[in-house]
Amino acid sequence: MAILEGRNLRKTYRLSRKNTVEALKGVEVVIEKGEMVAIMGPSGSGKSTLMHILGLLHAPDPNHGPAPELYIGGENMASLSDNARTKIRARRMGFVFQDFNLVPTLTALENVTLACDYAGIGGKQAKQAGVAALALVGLADRADHKPSELSGGEQQRVAVARALVNKPEIILADEPTGNLDSERSAEILALLRQFNREHGQTIVLVTHDSEVGEACDRVIRMRDGRIRTAITGAGAPVMAAPAVAVPA
Amino acid sequence: MRLVRDLGRRKLRSTLTITGIMIGIMALVVFGSMANKIDALVKGGSDYYKDKITVSAKGGFMGLGGVLSTRMVAQISPLKGVDVVVPGVSMLLSDEVSGVSMGTPSMIQGSVANADQGREKFAMHYATGRALLPSDEGSNVVVLGSDLARQKKAKVGDTVTLRNVDFKVVGILEPTLTAPDNSAMVPMVAAQELYVKTLPALVADKLNTYEIATGLVVYPKPGTDPEAVANEIDAKVAGISTMTGKDFDQQIGAATSMLNAILIGIGLLSLIIGGLSVINTMAMSVAERTREIGIKRAIGASRWRIRREIVIESAIIGLIGGLLGLALGFVITTMGNDAGRESSTILFDLTFGTAFSSVAFATILGAAAGFVPAWSASRLDPVTALRYE
Repeated sequence: MAILEGRNLRKTYRLSRKNTVEALKGVEVVIEKGEMVAIMGPSGSGKSTLMHILGLLHAPDPNHGPAPELYIGGENMASLSDNARTKIRARRMGFVFQDFNLVPTLTALENVTLACDYAGIGGKQAKQAGVAALALVGLADRADHKPSELSGGEQQRVAVARALVNKPEIILADEPTGNLDSERSAEILALLRQFNREHGQTIVLVTHDSEVGEACDRVIRMRDGRIRTAITGAGAPVMAAPAVAVPA
Repeated sequence: MRLVRDLGRRKLRSTLTITGIMIGIMALVVFGSMANKIDALVKGGSDYYKDKITVSAKGGFMGLGGVLSTRMVAQISPLKGVDVVVPGVSMLLSDEVSGVSMGTPSMIQGSVANADQGREKFAMHYATGRALLPSDEGSNVVVLGSDLARQKKAKVGDTVTLRNVDFKVVGILEPTLTAPDNSAMVPMVAAQELYVKTLPALVADKLNTYEIATGLVVYPKPGTDPEAVANEIDAKVAGISTMTGKDFDQQIGAATSMLNAILIGIGLLSLIIGGLSVINTMAMSVAERTREIGIKRAIGASRWRIRREIVIESAIIGLIGGLLGLALGFVITTMGNDAGRESSTILFDLTFGTAFSSVAFATILGAAAGFVPAWSASRLDPVTALRYE
């Protein structure tokens, strides 16, 4: 069953009055529940834009060409209000970013429970979930440390814990290993893979790193705002259709 | 707690902003307390004068000035609308009035106890001792106002010196916040004897000491308009001027409400400046935290949450500044009053209302100042904010 399904996804960014960038030129994408998918492509190919749309951080352009459709678990999300999209991000998604992006004044545990707070879970329940999530990423003993007291790899593990704490259906990761050495990258990747296997969470990650791509079930390759090809985890092309990605 | 920690991130800037608010609130507390004191003085006067007419010698004011005579009682009593007439003697406690003083100068007031036949409605309460009695006439006893008693460090039973004459203290009043606080009340005869000594010998020789009055208090018949009675007295008696409650309110009330407006204005002005500095601090703090706001938005903080966070943070700046300003204002007004007590110059009356409203105002000001930066923070696009360096 498809958990994420997008059609006619277009996004044009207006940088100035005369300068616009067509980041997505009509993309069709289907991601199955429980898949771990990498989106790869050169800079400017639209891979981050696609992730932002799939993660409801941006809405697809509604008004030129055929109407965009974006289904999450079967519900159309293409024209939701900012508030409604925010609520879905809080409750049904987890995010991991390249620069770790922890709140510097909060401890590791507080950073994790912040996600519970936004999802409407507070108090003891949030604390328990936060401690459990930190234990899962192997940082139970660092709960009271501030981000500045943690290494890069540890900070990213806190970010992963934050993404997991609400047991979301979908985890979106934007270059999650981009700022880590190969050993730490492997750790983070292994963590994500473990949750994907154990809890069936769908993981979509944007990466430059072909090793990361190879570790996933499938790679969606992008170029110039379009999907070029889909490749299985083993690296063999499954389908060469230019605009449609179909799972293996 | 998290919000307080956020304030701690930029200690110097938060401190400067809080200091700005603190100074503004301090100014509001100090000037507000001064305005309270003036209001209490005026209200006391207004209450005292509203149901009576004060008669002074022409050119005098409020019972001070030229010399009248107790014989005028017989002249005024039969006039239309007049109920009771009480002669009195008022004089400054000391001829040396030091500099310009706020409030009422220290006075000696003499009249025969109970001569008002129960008409005086201005209630005075005794902290210790007793009121003057008609039987005190002829003896040198005194009831002291609260500030005067403190200034002279006098207790009931002590002897105090008023214009070089010894008086025995028989009672001390509760604070009234108005004229009686600085007054020494003595029997009529004692006052007349003190007063005659202040006059040049040539003048004094022509007077009968025991007929001297510096003013008369006229209580109109119940239900009579004091204005009409005052007009009647003005018309029928020569060489005097009358003052009613209305005259008092017009002359004193108008002047003091202007002064109060200026005082409160100064306080508010300093707060507006403090408020602008809160806006500046919060705007800078939002700019610095753009990325962090992006993270929070991305992982599911609603616009409303972001706004609330910033508004609460700036309200806390206001609250802390307000509390510190109140503390500082309290110290200043207390020290000012302690210093002024020696010269009976009580300048400040810091009421609970002033204290509470100053702090509440600072908090609301802080929250309001946070609105603009909060709004722009909540409008940030999470993706753009995340990329912000």
